[in-house]
Amino acid sequence: MTVTAETRSSRSNPRRGWRGLFRAHTTPGGLRWILPGFVLSVGLIYYCIGYSGYLSLFKWGGGKQKMTWVGLDNFRQAFDNPVFWASLRHTLFFFVVVYVVQVVGGVLFASVMHSQLYFKTLYKIIIFIPVVIAPAIMAPAHIQVWSTKGTVNQILSNLGLESLTRGWIGQASTSLLVVTLVQCWGAVGFGFILYYAAIGQIDPEVMEAARIDGAGNLRALISIVLPEVRPTTVSLGILNFITALKLFDNPWLLTQGGPAHSSEFLGTMIYSQMVQQKRNLGYACALSMVLLVVAVVTSVIIQLRGRERDPQTRKRTRRKAEEVAI
Amino acid sequence: MFETRSRLSRVVMQIVVTIAVIPFTIPIYTMIARSLEGRGWGNYKAVISVPGFARFFLNSAIVAGGAIILIYITTMMASFGFSKLRIRRKEVFFWMMMAALTLPEVVLLAPLYATAVKLHMMGTFWSVILPIAALQVPFTTLLTRSYVDGIPDQLFEAARIDGASTWRMFWAILVPLAKPMAVALVVLVLINAWNSYLLPKIFLTAGDMGVVTLLPEYFKRQYNDDTPKVLASAVVTAIPEVIAYIALQKQFERGMAAGALK
Repeated sequence: MTVTAETRSSRSNPRRGWRGLFRAHTTPGGLRWILPGFVLSVGLIYYCIGYSGYLSLFKWGGGKQKMTWVGLDNFRQAFDNPVFWASLRHTLFFFVVVYVVQVVGGVLFASVMHSQLYFKTLYKIIIFIPVVIAPAIMAPAHIQVWSTKGTVNQILSNLGLESLTRGWIGQASTSLLVVTLVQCWGAVGFGFILYYAAIGQIDPEVMEAARIDGAGNLRALISIVLPEVRPTTVSLGILNFITALKLFDNPWLLTQGGPAHSSEFLGTMIYSQMVQQKRNLGYACALSMVLLVVAVVTSVIIQLRGRERDPQTRKRTRRKAEEVAI
Repeated sequence: MFETRSRLSRVVMQIVVTIAVIPFTIPIYTMIARSLEGRGWGNYKAVISVPGFARFFLNSAIVAGGAIILIYITTMMASFGFSKLRIRRKEVFFWMMMAALTLPEVVLLAPLYATAVKLHMMGTFWSVILPIAALQVPFTTLLTRSYVDGIPDQLFEAARIDGASTWRMFWAILVPLAKPMAVALVVLVLINAWNSYLLPKIFLTAGDMGVVTLLPEYFKRQYNDDTPKVLASAVVTAIPEVIAYIALQKQFERGMAAGALK
């Protein structure tokens, strides 16, 4: 807008058009308008990061206890701790599984809901309710589903697969899987809603042309739908990565990170460090700083790569924002 | 999307989708079925008659309401400033805010805890509302600024020529025109604040300060792991959310979809 206004008026004044002059003198200053939000978010968050970095150099039990300077010992302790590396591996496993299930499930459900089908609204509600209910509220139910006498084991023995029944949550070999599957339960609905909107945006003519050329359902899905919804897939990737890094609710509620740290994540590590009797807040802060660095570096890399490929990211964001709000 | 020409293929698709949806119903089914074990509806009566039960809902409403008001006001003002007003090094400020976009909340936990203890803010609603708001404002601002950028500048210039003050432009033009965005924003913040678990778990430890996400744990302690009653409490807690979603399906889906722009 500004650009067109200035080119039009540049005839009368080559340096600054009438409208530009008008705007510079009368557009009111806006610093105090952004200040409340800026102080609230940037102030609080940057303060916390700074304070966290400071505390990570001390050994401190919190409250009135004495702070002892330990330098980088907290970080060394983290890197020497096999549980720390295990939790990073769990994070990666969790991210990959949830992301794949979310994308595949989301695209398939969204495509099906755009086809001829009865009871669409009912299906949609069933898939989306897990997104709406807090993990903390569903956790007791999930524990019952996966317990020794739970629903999953009942279904398995009814299918004649009794050899597979086990205490899913109590075994180190399956606890991580349970946490991951429970997360998938809520994640598919979220992917579905985004893909449903994205598929609705595909030009019907493209689809028709493909059909006339003889494309079958699978072909249309792979060659048209998937490329068209790629921006959604990319943003789901970023979102899922951040979710995996900060994960706390589900693992804590289902397994407390156990048994034997088999479903430990960075979030549960930081939390249990903070609430245990002989806590060291400095160590919790060191873990937080590591988590922060991983999160920032990854999202910067993803965003820079995204920008290289697509110079119009900003425009697309705006268009999407408008769609959301219509 | 999928073409089903024959009747057979249509029936097959219907059956496949129905089977695919079943896993989503299992936890809900288990939750309801097991909550009725033992004393049947008596479990629900027992849960509801626990003194202070309503208090959890009130507390959640306070947290969510506080976060919504705080975020709404600061976001609207900031988007107005960033989009329509003159600020030196505007983009620097903007990117400083956006740098906080993808910040995991656990990172803030230890420093927030230490600060809250020092400032005697432990166990106040502010200790939960402020971090929730701080973490969401960058994102809501990004979203709302993009939306406000789409409102023509001429509207504001015309108002200015007619002698409107900046406040007047904000109230009479921006707030009404940005209303559709605000609805999505409110729903998004409502879900996030209502479902937040970690921050209340750490900061709202006093007996009468619990929020709904802490209810299952509260009942576990109360009933010594009497599973049917714990599940009954979970059902009662989930019902308002499910009703709200079914009544406002479109708004919920849009509000959640807005979350993917990050």
